[in-house]
Amino acid sequence: MKRKWTVTVVTLAAILTVIVAGVALFHDRKYNIISILIALLSCVPFFLAYEKKQMKTTEMILVAVMVALSSVGRIIFAPIPGFKPVTAITVITALYFGPQAGFLTGSLSAVISNLFFGQGPWTPFQMFGWGIIGLLGGLLQKWLLESNHWRIRLSLFGIFAGVAYSMIMDIWTVLSLDGTWSWTRYWTSIGLALPFTLEYAVSNVIFLMVLTKPIGTKLQRVKKKYGLDESYS
Amino acid sequence: MKAFSNFHPLVLFFYFISVLLLTMFTLHPVLLFFSLLGAVLFASMLETPRAVLVSLGFYVPMFLLIAVTNPLFSHNGVTPLFFMNDNPVTLEAILYGAAAAGMVISVMYWCRCYNTVVTSDKFLYLFGKLIPKLSLILSMALRFVPLFKAQVKKISRIQKTMGLYSSESKVDRLRGGFRVFSAIVTWSLENAVDTAASMRARGYGLPGRSNYSIYRFTPRDGAALGILAVLLGGSLWGMKTKVLEFSYYPRVAALSLTPVVLAGYAVVSALMFLPFLIEVKENLVWNYFRSKI
Repeated sequence: MKRKWTVTVVTLAAILTVIVAGVALFHDRKYNIISILIALLSCVPFFLAYEKKQMKTTEMILVAVMVALSSVGRIIFAPIPGFKPVTAITVITALYFGPQAGFLTGSLSAVISNLFFGQGPWTPFQMFGWGIIGLLGGLLQKWLLESNHWRIRLSLFGIFAGVAYSMIMDIWTVLSLDGTWSWTRYWTSIGLALPFTLEYAVSNVIFLMVLTKPIGTKLQRVKKKYGLDESYS
Repeated sequence: MKAFSNFHPLVLFFYFISVLLLTMFTLHPVLLFFSLLGAVLFASMLETPRAVLVSLGFYVPMFLLIAVTNPLFSHNGVTPLFFMNDNPVTLEAILYGAAAAGMVISVMYWCRCYNTVVTSDKFLYLFGKLIPKLSLILSMALRFVPLFKAQVKKISRIQKTMGLYSSESKVDRLRGGFRVFSAIVTWSLENAVDTAASMRARGYGLPGRSNYSIYRFTPRDGAALGILAVLLGGSLWGMKTKVLEFSYYPRVAALSLTPVVLAGYAVVSALMFLPFLIEVKENLVWNYFRSKI
């Protein structure tokens, strides 16, 4: 617990330093670089926590499998832009393996799939966006899954995740243009991206509805078959 | 020939971070021109001319789009060209938009070059020691992607042989797609647990184990890193002391050509064109040696 707090404090301090240094050195004009650094830094505490944690090799490999599955899914569905299973698979991992694994699957999926789609300054934003969605999915696990209305709740979460992802990526769209922030530009780009946002939301709901139970059953089965139950809460 | 990518991963990573930083920091037209030209020339050495032409076909319209739409969001500047909906469209805003577009597109091209030069194994080599668990996950996931793709092909072929989803209807194919996906999930999870068991059996994670890497930091890499650091430092110093500063508002500044500024341009262009020049030199040497045979 104590270590968790140290990591959080250090990260917050690092983010603050980046902001202050940005304001002092570049007269507060270079939001693009500063925002990339902040997006990266906000992933650091989760990565560090994961590095520190004692865990079984199996758990690490299962996360790697989920990351690879979401990247393969993104490649399979590449002809339809915006229609990607990354969010759904991240959420499913989070539901069955907890928030930390969810964050990892989301953020690493961004890194891995961008190796095939092209890395760029947008990678940290995708890492952060998908990571946070995974984290939230893991934290809301009880509410999302252990209910008779799980389909409705999960669909709502899918819609929320699509909108949130789109809004996080639009921050980057605005900042990439000239390095400064403008609310008019933000609202315009959200407006222009509306079809994509809708597509994200719809595809998230479709993938979550189709994949959650089958993958969940398979995960449970693997846990049972190989006696992995004790390592997960 | 990819002479530049023979440098140590650390040098390569440092180089790309430097050019990306410089490009994103500045809106100076001359610096952005150097950056864009350097990136496009380097990309044309790495990729086929056709691929570069195709990419230009995508980026040129994007450039125009950003340059033209900037005045819609920014009404600064003192030289109105015409009025649209009672808002002035200023020359300064258009030029600013053009510079911003140049920056975005240079960044895109540098990232293209990064993707070909700093391959994933180099990235993992650099960060593997810093984040051992994460880089293990990353490298395994990286290996799984082609493995799963091959497995997807196998499964779908087998399903076809079994007479499943051979019809042309969309719904049928989608259903088939999900059936294949379901099979791949089961297979990959079991495969993963087996891999983990095998790794444990071979003593993964036990203390005292080392790993081999193909990269070695040579004096040549040290020299390259030193030169890059000097060039980056010079460029940043030029920006900090306003030697390499340019302002668009309220009025577009005149380009000054004092010796200090010219020296600054020389430093930045040296940094931006370095990989291209190294490739050119390597090609010349190669052709020279071949002509001797």
